[in-house]
Amino acid sequence: MIWWCVALEEPWTWDWDPYPGVWLATLVPLAAYALAVRRHRPLDRRRLGFFVAGMIVFWLASDWPLGVLGAGYLASAHMLQFLLYTLVGAPLLLLGTPEWLGRRLLGRLTPPVAWLGRSPVVCAVVYNLMLAVTHSPGTVEVLRRSQLGSFTMDLLWMVAGFILWLPVISPLPEGRLTSPWPKMLYLFLATAVVAVIPASLLTFSTTPVYAIYELAPRIGSLTAREDQQIAGILMKLATIPVIWGTIAVLWFRYAKQEEAPV
Amino acid sequence: MSNVRRLVVVVCLVATACAGAIPTGRLQGEVIEDPQPKPSFVLTDTAGEPYDFADRTQGKLTLLYFGYTNCPDVCPVHLAQIAETLDTHPDLAGDTEVVFVTVDPTRDTPEVIRAFLDNFNTRFVGLTGTPDELTAAQEAADVPPATITGDGEDYTVDHAGWVIAYSPDGLSRTLYPYGTRQNVWVNDLTILIEMTEGAA
Repeated sequence: MIWWCVALEEPWTWDWDPYPGVWLATLVPLAAYALAVRRHRPLDRRRLGFFVAGMIVFWLASDWPLGVLGAGYLASAHMLQFLLYTLVGAPLLLLGTPEWLGRRLLGRLTPPVAWLGRSPVVCAVVYNLMLAVTHSPGTVEVLRRSQLGSFTMDLLWMVAGFILWLPVISPLPEGRLTSPWPKMLYLFLATAVVAVIPASLLTFSTTPVYAIYELAPRIGSLTAREDQQIAGILMKLATIPVIWGTIAVLWFRYAKQEEAPV
Repeated sequence: MSNVRRLVVVVCLVATACAGAIPTGRLQGEVIEDPQPKPSFVLTDTAGEPYDFADRTQGKLTLLYFGYTNCPDVCPVHLAQIAETLDTHPDLAGDTEVVFVTVDPTRDTPEVIRAFLDNFNTRFVGLTGTPDELTAAQEAADVPPATITGDGEDYTVDHAGWVIAYSPDGLSRTLYPYGTRQNVWVNDLTILIEMTEGAA
């Protein structure tokens, strides 16, 4: 029984395989959330929707087929997983976490970890550090070869996503930046500067960077280098709709507030 | 300021880790200590014509590989790696001949071999022959003859999983096992071709 998606070193097929570890990792937080919110009426359906959507994104990114493709076949699938975890799943889960639950969860964290979430500079540095480390060829090669390592990689990406979004949409009001301009600047600087370097290396390198995807059985006519180029382009461009969409929302909210009669 | 410094260190580490294609100036394949002359055998190509290996590849950097088209992993990855290397480095492609010899003549007809190789590169040469001719070719190339494993139609073939590189002077220089990366191919083909020019 394989619990978590891992590099398989066998030709890819579209035959479905079960990954019970992914189901557990999806269902346990959902069940815990359901139990927790049952005791705190009234139910906030909007937050519930965000949380369920976040867990669905987590499941889609982790389970067959994307999880398997990303673990051992395609660098582009690996990148899509990263983007789904950090730019879609993590913010949806944060939006779905009510303040009382966030206070309960974050209250259990050790002081250094709790402090981390209150400094945008630290959040940006840690997020980019995690981005760099988890995309380095050595890390990918080591972690994707074992189920535990592959699970660790996916977990690290979710944590990186939480860290990235905390200064903007933390469940705790004191953990968020208060005015929209710093939020917009933070999002731009945290996501658009450092990521350009690995994205460019992936796009313009003349030979494949990741051994695990280079030596994987090919899928269709996609070459290892083309796959890597797609990964690089995804890394650079896929952040645009999410980050600039969020910046646009923040801007329009700010403009609306400014226009409102005093 | 310390955060900026940390960031710079991380960026440098990533850039170093990603820079995998820097030529080293020395062969990275398994160097053959006692180079042997190119083997002499005549097989049948995918057009059904006789192909004299030593004669037709004379003066060219030649990559010789014994495999079969139903191979689930090693053969397609090897050929894809070589094909992608030559695609991205056309300067190497013109001087390199890739010869695939089947070790499964029952299933690998010339048409099947051609269709298989065309998935990678239409210039790759495909050869077949009788079982005896193919065994003799493997022995001439100093490769252990392939053996069939399993019964029925879905049998597999145990075969040598490495590519032999012959420099244009006709001597075997290096072996490349399964898992050879494209940066190694680029590095070594560049050197082997330069060795030719030096010899010329």
